[in-house]
Amino acid sequence: MPKLLFKNELRERLLRAGVAPRHVQRYLNELADHLADLKAEEERAGCNPADAEAAALTRLGSMDDLVEAMLKQRQFLAWSVRAPWAMFGCAPLCALAAAYFVACLILWSGWRIFLPGTDTPFVPTDGFSIFYFGIGRLLYFGAPILVGWGITLIAARQRLKAVWPTVGLVLVAFLGGSAQVHASRTGVPGGLGHIRMDFALWPSIQGNLFHALAILSLTVLPYLIWRFQKAYSISG
Amino acid sequence: MASRETNPNFMNGVPELLILKLLQQEEMYGYEIVQAIRSRTGDEIAIGEGVVYPVLHGLERDGALKSKRKTVNGRSRIYYSVTRAGSRRLADISKSWTNLTATIQKMLTGGRHAKVIV
Repeated sequence: MPKLLFKNELRERLLRAGVAPRHVQRYLNELADHLADLKAEEERAGCNPADAEAAALTRLGSMDDLVEAMLKQRQFLAWSVRAPWAMFGCAPLCALAAAYFVACLILWSGWRIFLPGTDTPFVPTDGFSIFYFGIGRLLYFGAPILVGWGITLIAARQRLKAVWPTVGLVLVAFLGGSAQVHASRTGVPGGLGHIRMDFALWPSIQGNLFHALAILSLTVLPYLIWRFQKAYSISG
Repeated sequence: MASRETNPNFMNGVPELLILKLLQQEEMYGYEIVQAIRSRTGDEIAIGEGVVYPVLHGLERDGALKSKRKTVNGRSRIYYSVTRAGSRRLADISKSWTNLTATIQKMLTGGRHAKVIV
């Protein structure tokens, strides 16, 4: 088997078996160096380049042996395989929570700085405040999509089956679609503004469902394109 | 009759032992390690040469080895060397292995169980 095909097949088999991509890459790099040394040794012994490469590949070990040796080292399995519930359940939730916290913090601070006299921060603004509130809004609306793209990137890099990434994407889309921000002043005159977040599909069920579906579509789309491209390149 | 596989656990730890022993003497890169194993065991231990890397990476992750990239003769290579933890691990494995081989040797040369069978 030619060197490049061997390398590609080994990479695919290791990734599909759940080995973390960075460990796969390091393994492949060192095997490539080793193969070059073996080939040089065979050539010094009098082989022509093609025979030397074939002999070097044989000495390197069979595909099964190379895969099995890596799989024996359980610590090199990716977290997405060892604990998919954490990778596609807890981690996206934490990432979204952090992004929403920062977005709310921007809203709250902007309200205090630029709109101290208003009862709500959801009023037309001008000047620098547009930019300031814009960052918060971008984070609020962009976070679910970015987190979703993160999930699809991991799924594509690690050749994962669709079940857990789908769970993660649906969760992110639901949270992104159902998130609602409320702002109110405390009863004390001149009191601090109060920002609160809810996650509910009502009262605007249609609008929130549409938002959730839009997030899901935007995040799934790159993964589907990658899958089609992969399938096309294999069949081609 | 289907062929019966040998107990793979019996060979577990052997590559690790050999690698730690070699690297305790001097730092080496993967190709050198395999060639050293071949020459010092008189080709008695034949393994697919590539399988040495997962063992090296595993030992490094456990803190028994450390690696550094060096450029030698225009080629960049990853050299491995033993840490203190690796030396302790080598001592432990060597002791276990010595006990095991001594026990087996005793059986082969007429230990208690051997007499019962005869």
